[in-house]
Amino acid sequence: MSTDTRTHTQTPTSTSTHDATPAVGVRTRRHRSATRRLVAAELRLLGRDPMTLTFVLVFPVVTMLIIGGSFGTTPDEAFPVNPSHWYVASYLTVVIGATGLIMLPVHIASYRERGVLRRFAASGFPRWSFALAQLVVGLVAIAVAGALLLAVAAPVYGVPAVEDPVRAAGGLVAGSVAFVSLGVLLGTLLPSARAAQAIGLLLFFPSFLLGVGGPPPAVMSPALRSLSDWLPLAMANEAVRQPWLGLGNATGTLAVVAGLAVAATALAARRTAL
Amino acid sequence: MKIPDPVVAVRGLTKSYGGRIVVDHLDLDVHAGEVVGLIGANGAGKTTAVECVQGLRRPESGTIEVLGLDPVRDAARLRPLVGSQLQSSGLPDRLRVGEAVELFSGRRAKDADLLLERFGLGHRRRYAFGTMSGGERQRLFLVLALLNQPRLVILDELTQGLDPSARREVWSAVSQLREAGTTVLLVTHELDEAEALCERVVAMRAGRVLDAGTPAELVARHASWATVRFALPSGRPDEALAALRRLPGVSDVTRHGDQVVVHGARAVIAHTGAWLVTRGRVPDDLRVEVPDLETALLALLDASTHDLTGAA
Repeated sequence: MSTDTRTHTQTPTSTSTHDATPAVGVRTRRHRSATRRLVAAELRLLGRDPMTLTFVLVFPVVTMLIIGGSFGTTPDEAFPVNPSHWYVASYLTVVIGATGLIMLPVHIASYRERGVLRRFAASGFPRWSFALAQLVVGLVAIAVAGALLLAVAAPVYGVPAVEDPVRAAGGLVAGSVAFVSLGVLLGTLLPSARAAQAIGLLLFFPSFLLGVGGPPPAVMSPALRSLSDWLPLAMANEAVRQPWLGLGNATGTLAVVAGLAVAATALAARRTAL
Repeated sequence: MKIPDPVVAVRGLTKSYGGRIVVDHLDLDVHAGEVVGLIGANGAGKTTAVECVQGLRRPESGTIEVLGLDPVRDAARLRPLVGSQLQSSGLPDRLRVGEAVELFSGRRAKDADLLLERFGLGHRRRYAFGTMSGGERQRLFLVLALLNQPRLVILDELTQGLDPSARREVWSAVSQLREAGTTVLLVTHELDEAEALCERVVAMRAGRVLDAGTPAELVARHASWATVRFALPSGRPDEALAALRRLPGVSDVTRHGDQVVVHGARAVIAHTGAWLVTRGRVPDDLRVEVPDLETALLALLDASTHDLTGAA
């Protein structure tokens, strides 16, 4: 049944007759695209998020300072290089893990829980704008926190020379993209911010202790060492640390991390399409 | 841009979740400049229907055209033309009012300052969303829905959780939209809201349309009675009551002390008044009670329940 019960004449809305002029706060600027506005807003919110400040900026620096000074500065059976440098190089991956496994899942799950994504979708934001914004936000968080980590490490332990800058940079980029995308994906799969926080911590700490910032592999049991070899965050760490410290080129590991980055990015983009 | 009419044309829309049909062969037209209300109890399928209209959900069957576009296939073209205030949706707690307005300002955005002032948020630009009251949040959502000069505004449970004062403020804003000729599709289970704001309402139950028309038409169709109360002037009460019972449309006359209650069709208001005047018995305390849209909807729902029971 049609519910129309009247005869109507077309009435143009009053608003359609006006010329568009910029909205509040953008009066003096050129109009920016929806994606750029979303990226700018997300970056602004990033700086106001205590979870980010705690886990992405403070936690890696504090733990790096503690553990980086725990094993001296002389290479030995456990450490093929200066142990402090070993941890300085490793803790960039802690930043990546904290961003991808804790910050982003909680952030995105809270958006879903509160209907923010629906609001973006209904408001006509481009289909891939949210995915792109989160990728930018994640990479910026990693860049800022990584720079802070190195800035703090430099006067305390020194920053080791990068032996193979191209491969190390490749590992850093592939690892960052992989974990940012995994973080976005987790955020879209987990039902609430609390669930994302619980699962994120559960995924982060074993990876952190076994594969990145905990004891060196040489002191682990064979079973734990085998397990740590297969942890994605440990692989990302290998792809950065090996070429950085001149311990190997880690080509195979880099390929796996790059594959993970591509797959996770495709899935995350699909899940966050507006 | 020439606005197609009807602005919203839904034919045979069906949507189910987990095998449960939520919207069942819904037909709906919303014409340009009209304020149409979807009313019904919780779970009637109102929100799902408008989510399909917005392209946020994909219908299982049926067709939807909004401004001549398919909400799913043409989402990128359509969504900037529709202003939405969604049920159960929010903003990041730390986003400030001015930032939210900037974020949601598309190419067609205009008069953002004016809108903020009009909705009483001009002084709140630097306030974070998380610190705002429920009424302020709803008013901000309304600002965001209107910001880009939408051809169609969809408002879903606009005043849910608001105090009476905040509700009146929001109602006033929607009335201004109506006066400006903006097309509005309003979803509500607050029937006083639908009665105050909508030119036409569509009553739904279990995903189906039960009836549609102006609020007055629905009341006339489903709750067309009236009750007149007054203190009987001195005289012979039994004769007076008998005379009242003979008036056209009267179904019942009762007496409680000196109070007389005349109940029947709407016409009893005029007939009782005329009877009192012609007999020179004009009471000071005459009160007339007529049903509102809520009573009409309850009657309609009740009748549909009997229909369903009878059919079973």
